[in-house]
Amino acid sequence: MNQTPNNPMSTQTKRLWLFGLFLLLILGLFLLNLVLGSVSIPLKDIWGSLIGREGVKESWVYIVQNSRLPRVLTAALAGIALSASGLQMQTMFRNPLADPFILGINSGASLGVAIAILGSGFVGGLFLPALNLRGEFSLVLAASIGAGLVLALILLVGRWVQNPTTLLILGLMFGHATGAIVSILVYFSAPERIQAYSIWSFGSFSGVNWTQLNVMAIVVLVGVGLMALLPKGLNALLLGEDYARTMGLNVGLLRFVVLLSASVLSGAVTAFCGPIGFIGVAVPHIARNLFKTSNHKILIPAIILIGAAVSMAASLIAQLPGSQLVLPINVVTSLFGAPFVVWVVLKRKRGATSFNV
Amino acid sequence: MPPVLQSSALSIGYKNGGKTPKVIADQLNLQLSAGEFVCLVGPNGVGKSTLLRTLTGLQPKLAGEIQLSGQKLESYRPRDLANQVSVVLTSPISVGAMRVDELAAMGRFPFTGLFDRMTEHDWEVVHETLRVVGVDKLSHRYVHTLSDGERQKVMIARALAQEPRLLVLDEPTAYLDLPGRVVVMNLLHNLAYGHDKAVLTSTHDLELALRHADRIWLMDDEGRISLGAPEDLVLNGSFAQAFNRAGVLFDPLSGTFDTQNSGSKSVFLEGQGSELIWTRRALHRAGFVVDEEWIPGSPRVCVRPQEGAITWQLEHAGQTNTFSSIYDLLQSLQR
Repeated sequence: MNQTPNNPMSTQTKRLWLFGLFLLLILGLFLLNLVLGSVSIPLKDIWGSLIGREGVKESWVYIVQNSRLPRVLTAALAGIALSASGLQMQTMFRNPLADPFILGINSGASLGVAIAILGSGFVGGLFLPALNLRGEFSLVLAASIGAGLVLALILLVGRWVQNPTTLLILGLMFGHATGAIVSILVYFSAPERIQAYSIWSFGSFSGVNWTQLNVMAIVVLVGVGLMALLPKGLNALLLGEDYARTMGLNVGLLRFVVLLSASVLSGAVTAFCGPIGFIGVAVPHIARNLFKTSNHKILIPAIILIGAAVSMAASLIAQLPGSQLVLPINVVTSLFGAPFVVWVVLKRKRGATSFNV
Repeated sequence: MPPVLQSSALSIGYKNGGKTPKVIADQLNLQLSAGEFVCLVGPNGVGKSTLLRTLTGLQPKLAGEIQLSGQKLESYRPRDLANQVSVVLTSPISVGAMRVDELAAMGRFPFTGLFDRMTEHDWEVVHETLRVVGVDKLSHRYVHTLSDGERQKVMIARALAQEPRLLVLDEPTAYLDLPGRVVVMNLLHNLAYGHDKAVLTSTHDLELALRHADRIWLMDDEGRISLGAPEDLVLNGSFAQAFNRAGVLFDPLSGTFDTQNSGSKSVFLEGQGSELIWTRRALHRAGFVVDEEWIPGSPRVCVRPQEGAITWQLEHAGQTNTFSSIYDLLQSLQR
């Protein structure tokens, strides 16, 4: 038993260590996100600021409670949601390049936001009288409506389009079509509105207030909860829908739940934080490589931890601690993440941990 | 006891979205019992996969009836159906990083709950099937490190772990080398005999099918299926009929396919044993008609083993030459 290099005990121990490591990493990143920023707050005063203890600077209490804490929680939730959504899409479409937005959820949200920001220029600022966007609830609403409409469309079409590849192509085409409408809106809009729209499309974890955070947390919890019911079904889908069916699984129901969970998760993130790329496609690959498995019983908890950690790290870097500047999240994830994933992918043996589609 | 699989007046094909359905084959009355190994053979594109998909419930039938263990196929709940039939499909799987035992354990899905908690018994079944298939030594290897043949055996183990009465395979040997194919066909034969499974496989390996199958379902391009022991189908000419196409002939003597001889030059050959057989094949390929009797004027080849080596003697146009290899002989003949 023990002479095999891959014997199950050592693999299991290694995985436990990895889980522990990521928990520590998340804790560390959480604290760093509270400590670092344009204003540096000493670590010893963080707890005081969190609970609003007497004697701690009032501005610190305000910054920690209303800016940094919601921001780091938003980052964690968004990271978890995007990773969970991406994992499900990659498995369902058996495509390593699938991401949470492959079915056009973000296109729907973008269109909603584009109409809200750009379209309001034509109808006289009906939605957005001012262009102060951070935390603007009407934007969240517009994105939610857009994402929700696409979600409904996907679930509807998914019921009678049997072939996943067809579904994938439909999603892509839908993305192009909405992209074209957004382009038309951009083309005819005033520069300041265009800038407002592009700022939204860069993605941000800031500006989600507590009410919105509560809503987001509930939606993410529901989406992740649905996924937690699916490790067996997702494993079966690795072999393809035909195999899954002959193993006694209700593939129609499975597909419906996967689509629902993945769309709700990516829709929630897009609505509150904008279209955040990269995390959803990269984290599942990182998880497969680190944990050396494509078994969803392990991957699901793994991507939750890694997703939260990666997203919190991105949020930290985006703040450019010590400076007054804030980078867009999409810039950070792509700029820092892409080289990392290139390294991970090149390091592994060919075909080892991904799908060789 | 009813047969494991029985179809009556079954019609298979595709429902063409409201229009007239495309019928691939109809009036199929098929039967398969436990302990029987059946090979479904036929030229490419006659609908073997469609038949297998219909019989396993992956694709709706057009008409007729399919019964599994005496009960209508449609009346099974998915999970109960999975206890009756399991499959191995053609396409190579790509599950990513997964261990052999994890993959085989997926065969227990019909028995485990929502969260796939495996009992002691479940693992026992998995390890037993890995042993039966002969891959128990690989159980901790990653699937992607296996050879095609080993991987196909693991897929068979996965299917067996479902403890089905009927095992259906769609061209399980398609991606394997010749020894690999022999091993898999032999394994399937043993599963039927030793483990009382009903085994149905489609294959393009006619020679292996003829050797291993208890019964052949021979499908031709008009959707007819001839049933029988392999030897019956050879002797009554069904094989020749189903497969003969321009330039290809089924040789009932050897049970193999041969290209039609287009040559016109005749040659007389004498000798015996394997030297004779292989020399004849070579001459055949080079476009010679090998005559039973020597016709004066045509070349005469005599092959005989001599002091441990084989020599070929060629008499032609009054000259006699001796060669030490078939290659040299052919070179001289073709000049």
